[in-house]
Amino acid sequence: MSVKERNEGDVMVLDLSGEININTSPDVRKCFDKLIKEQKKKILLNFEEVGYIDSSGLATMVEMMQRMKRFGGTLRLTNLTDKVRGLFEITKLDRLFGIFPSEEEALKDF
Amino acid sequence: MAKTVIKVENLIKTFGNRRVLDGINLEVYEGETFVIMGGSGCGKSTLLRHLIGAIKPDSGEVRIKDKDITQLDTHGMDEIKKRFGMLFQSSALLDSLSVEENVSLPLKEHTKLAPDIIKIMVKMKLGLVGLRGFENHMPSELSGGMKKRVGLARAIAMDPDIVFYDEPSAGLDPVVTAVIDKLMIDLSKKLLITSVVVTHDMNSVFRIADRIAMLHKGKILQIGTKEEIKNSTNPIVQQFIAGDVEGPIQFLTKGDDYLEHLTQ
Repeated sequence: MSVKERNEGDVMVLDLSGEININTSPDVRKCFDKLIKEQKKKILLNFEEVGYIDSSGLATMVEMMQRMKRFGGTLRLTNLTDKVRGLFEITKLDRLFGIFPSEEEALKDF
Repeated sequence: MAKTVIKVENLIKTFGNRRVLDGINLEVYEGETFVIMGGSGCGKSTLLRHLIGAIKPDSGEVRIKDKDITQLDTHGMDEIKKRFGMLFQSSALLDSLSVEENVSLPLKEHTKLAPDIIKIMVKMKLGLVGLRGFENHMPSELSGGMKKRVGLARAIAMDPDIVFYDEPSAGLDPVVTAVIDKLMIDLSKKLLITSVVVTHDMNSVFRIADRIAMLHKGKILQIGTKEEIKNSTNPIVQQFIAGDVEGPIQFLTKGDDYLEHLTQ
């Protein structure tokens, strides 16, 4: 599992890669901790290279969204594979997150 | 072709001089709901206990994802157990713990996840079994069906690949049984879980099964789809499905055998 940061204008894009599961989600959470401390207001998570996310990964996303809300931040998601999107849908989290089919559309929405 | 996730080969188990499992062979495919059915004392619970590694066979193999679990030590077995969940007949909730604490047990025991993350996961799992908002309830405040659902939430807490169900409809009325059955079907299809269910509830069997194994006197009589089992020409299978008193499954010893038994 890896997380690479890049900036697109005033949006911080995180390119996630690999499986987000019970073993790797604590690492993703650590990356998020740093961004929370920096109070990054606009974050886009790019799931293009994520083949699977388990419920610990989903919970990590939920927690991140909640923490960002506290300082008026916005979290968006893009490029989810059908399998990953399905997991957001089963848990009804697709209703919570702004999920966009392409990075371009997601960036426009901030 | 479907991938095999569980493979049982020539499994034999004897208690005293009684052979409870007598050369069991079966395969369970990824994502399917596989039902093991049979009458009381046919060996189905003993077979389930072998599948979860709770007891060792006299001989034979139980391969889960190509690993023969009969040869694993305690540590190896603990690792495999993280990949499967179990719903017990009695739900097996700890009465002194809240619903949230019960569901979070495997996560606290087997992972190093932060408490806040575990809390969110537990709420998600309770949502999946239709118990949103019941986190702080105690087991004694719940009905039998609700306890089963909490047990199911705990069984899927670790996102298992395989869930084993031991008589999931035991002690439940037909409507609650149907609710639990639907939940099992939904979870296995949505979360792509392989399910192995031990039951003798025929209504449940024909609702949930992709394939069925009929066990009788420690042997598998037939494995097939619902249609194949319904149309089986085996008189024992037919008697079991119909629930007939008369047939090859004998409960009452007759004639000389009975006399001998009583006077021995």
